[in-house]
Formats: sequence, C-alpha cells, structure tokens
Amino acid sequence: MSSILEDIYNSLNIVAFSYEADQQFQLLSDMPDWLLFFLGHVENDSYPLFDSFAYLSCFKEDAELHWQEAKTEPLASGPWIEIDALEQSIAFEASALCSQGKRILLIQNLGKRYTQELERYQQVRNSLLTKEMLETEVQRRTLAIRRREEELAIKLVSLTSYRDQETGTHVRRIGLYAAAMAKALNWSEEQIDIIRIAAPMHDIGKIGIPDRVLRKNGSLNDAEFTVMKQHTEIGARMLSGSTIPVLQMAQVIARSHHERWDGTGYPEGLEGEAIPLPARITTIVDVYDALLHERIYKEAIPEYESVSMMRDMAGRYFDPELFKLFERLLPVMRQIRQEVSEFTG
Amino acid sequence: MNELVLQKKVCLVGAFSVGKTSLIQRYVHSLFSEKYQTTVGVKIDKKIVVVDDTQLNLMLWDVAGEDDFTQIRPAHLRGLAGYIVVIDGTRPNSFDVALDIHLRIQRDYGIFSTVFVLNKSDLQDQWRLTPEHLHRLINLGFPVVQASALSGEGVENIFTNLARQLVTAHIGA
Repeated sequence: MSSILEDIYNSLNIVAFSYEADQQFQLLSDMPDWLLFFLGHVENDSYPLFDSFAYLSCFKEDAELHWQEAKTEPLASGPWIEIDALEQSIAFEASALCSQGKRILLIQNLGKRYTQELERYQQVRNSLLTKEMLETEVQRRTLAIRRREEELAIKLVSLTSYRDQETGTHVRRIGLYAAAMAKALNWSEEQIDIIRIAAPMHDIGKIGIPDRVLRKNGSLNDAEFTVMKQHTEIGARMLSGSTIPVLQMAQVIARSHHERWDGTGYPEGLEGEAIPLPARITTIVDVYDALLHERIYKEAIPEYESVSMMRDMAGRYFDPELFKLFERLLPVMRQIRQEVSEFTG
Repeated sequence: MNELVLQKKVCLVGAFSVGKTSLIQRYVHSLFSEKYQTTVGVKIDKKIVVVDDTQLNLMLWDVAGEDDFTQIRPAHLRGLAGYIVVIDGTRPNSFDVALDIHLRIQRDYGIFSTVFVLNKSDLQDQWRLTPEHLHRLINLGFPVVQASALSGEGVENIFTNLARQLVTAHIGA
C-alpha cells in the first residue's frame, strides 16, 4: 500500500481488511494502536473479525449479501461502542464494499465524529424530554380541569335530582356507561371524557318542570305529559350558547335523548342517524340503568329481563347497531353497576 | 459443576432515556451515574448467570432508545434469544413506545423470552402510569418487574427472571 494511502487511512482512522475464507480477514493497511488492543497481533495478519467483535454478528448477513452482489459503494454497519485498555469508550463503524474483485471490510474509529453526533443527539433528546414533560404536565392539568368540570356537572345535576328523586349514583353510572360505549366506538380520549361528563346532564331540564308533574305518583295524563316532555328543550336552552365542549355535548344530549330511532320520539321527531350519536348512546344506557334500579314508582327489574325488554325496543326506540354493541359490553356495564352501586355511591 | 453452557443474545429496548444503559451498568458493573448520557449505536456487555445446572453467558445488547426520529435497526435484533422492554414510570409516552416495539418484534421476529421493566421505582411519587397501563402490561402475559437502576431494587430480578425463561425455552426447544 502506498504511503499516501496509508497516511489517508491514518488520518481518517480507518483500517482495511479483505475477506479471505473461513471467516478470516487479511489486514491490508497498518494496524493502528487503537485496534491492536482488540485484535492482538498475529503473524500472518489474518483476523477473525466477526468473532473479535460481537457486534459484527448482526452485520455479517448484510455484508455478505453486499459482497455477493459485488457492490462498490460502502454499506455501513452503524456505530457500536467498545471499551479500550484505559476503560474508555471507543466508537467503531464497519463498512462493507467490493473493490477490484476483493471483498473489503473497513473498520473506522469514529473518534470526534461520534462525540459530535452524541452531543447532537443529547441536545435533541433533552429537548424531546422537556417537550414530553410539558405535554404530560398539560395532560395532567387538563385532567384536573376535567375532574372539576365533572364535579360541577354532578353538582348541577344534583339540583334536579333533589326534586325528581333521581339518585347521584344513577347520574354517575350514566356517565361511565356512556364513556364505555364511546371507548368501544374508538372515540378519542378527549371525547370519551366529554361524554362521561355530559351524559349525566341529560335530564337537567327537569328543573323547569313543576312539582305537580315531576313528583306525581302514578301515570301522567296527556296534558301533564306534554309539560314533562318540555324538559328536553328546557335543558337544551339552559345549556345553549356555551363554548365549552362538555356543555355543547350536554346540550345535544339533553335535547335529543328522548328521540326514537323510528322517528316517534320528541321533541323533534328525529329519525335514525339524524339523532346525534351521543344522544343515542345516552338513551340506551339511561333506560338500562332506570330499569335495573328501584324507583319510587317501580320495582327493580333483573338484568336478563331488562335486557330482553330492551332488545324488543331496539330498532324502534334504540339504534339497533348501537344496541348490539351495548349487549357486547354488558360485562363492562355490570362491573360499573357493581362499583357505583346505590350503597357505595 | 455446570452441565450446560449457553450463550444468549439479549437486547434491552425501549424509548430513549428510560434507563436501559443504567440498568446494564448497575447489573454488570454495580455502578450508577445520575447524569443522563444518551446512547447512539449499540454497546454490548457480557454477564454470566447460573440457573440451576446451566451456565448462561448473556450478551447484553444495549440498543439505542427510540425517539420521534430513530427506530431500532432491525439488524440489531438478529440472533435474539430474549429481550427486556424498559419503561420509565414517570413517562406515559415510554409505555406507548415500549408496547409498539414489543408488538413489532413479535410481528417481525416471533415470540421470545421477555421481561417488562417499570424503571425508576425510586421516583414512584412522580409516576404517571395509570392502573389501566399496568393492567394492559400484565395482560400481555410476560413478567413485569419494578426496578430502580439508582437504588438497585429489582435489577437482579430482571435478569435472573429472563435467564430462567431462556433456560426453560432452551430445554423446551
């Protein structure tokens, strides 16, 4: 090898080998000190490089393919770290290429180039860590705000609960059932949180219904029922005009949770998918929970009977596809019911 | 007297800055550095573990962590016998990255001996993982070990747990 070429190798910290046979590599350039520690010195300058550096075991397959295809452009292994005699880290990179019919393997000590690359990565990753930390903090605070919103919503709803004797646990369960449905529908985490808080407000308009109707024992006559039906529009008006996503969804639910799939509901007689999805979800879970729990005007109905009754209502009262999903989620609903029972709530 | 000597390649994978290098440092050299020094490329350490009558020569591949711009080079996983997926309990993002890597390895290479590590247990008051995260992890069916490279808690357990799996897999193969 010419002395000029040898100088170039030295200044680039590169050592050249050619692949011979039996996994042996013939040294083509001088053996620098930085490599001597790892390879030692052998008489015939033939080294088992793939054995000497464990890292090269993952490069071997690519290098051999590269040589078989007689490619002249270098294929790099990517950097790896070894520890030298002084317990210092030293970064290497191997490159495979073909030259004049020979299979060449270059080993380079990356030296400062690696240190600079490391510094660059360190800076980038420090920035990414800061960004990630800030995002986590924003999420944490958003969650805290959501919890406060939820608490406010529950307090708000409890105003009506006092009057129509609906329980706080019912209201909480409605939110959790609706959130479980939303999750199964692959809604975003944010939208799931929103429906969990918004669905419990579906009956908020009942605050505007007179006691003689709202608290009447026994069935309502036509005139009373007309008054009762107004709770949907009263609720929607109460919640209107807000820019807060939770209240916007609550308004939609409050207005439309008595609409029916077949168009015979109220207040607008919307039909099928014209009924907003959050309202269709709330309708199903509200009926489920109301049937299963005892109220002043009715006994609790066992789940199998309740679900059977609801199955008959699917396609008329409820979105049939959504009801199928609800049935698949019954174990989840059951778990919510157990965890938020009238006694624990 | 050991009857069997095995050499196994084990990769430590996960997001960047979850503590892969620190866990290896603690396990192999009983050292810990407070300073975060990112890894570029791969560093291989060796450790001998004895499981019953089997001597395991573990080749521990400390593979650079993944970030928004870098993914594990598939070549680094060649010859893999098992892997350790490291999660930083204080960073939910590292949980997502860990699961993504785990599923990618299973999809592209098959099922191997695996241990999930919830690292930085010394910072448990700052953990941001939810019970749902833990549930998802446990449901994957692999051992989950809480550890701290700083205090050393759980570190030995990670590697001996994996070593036992490797021996069992070898005997069953």
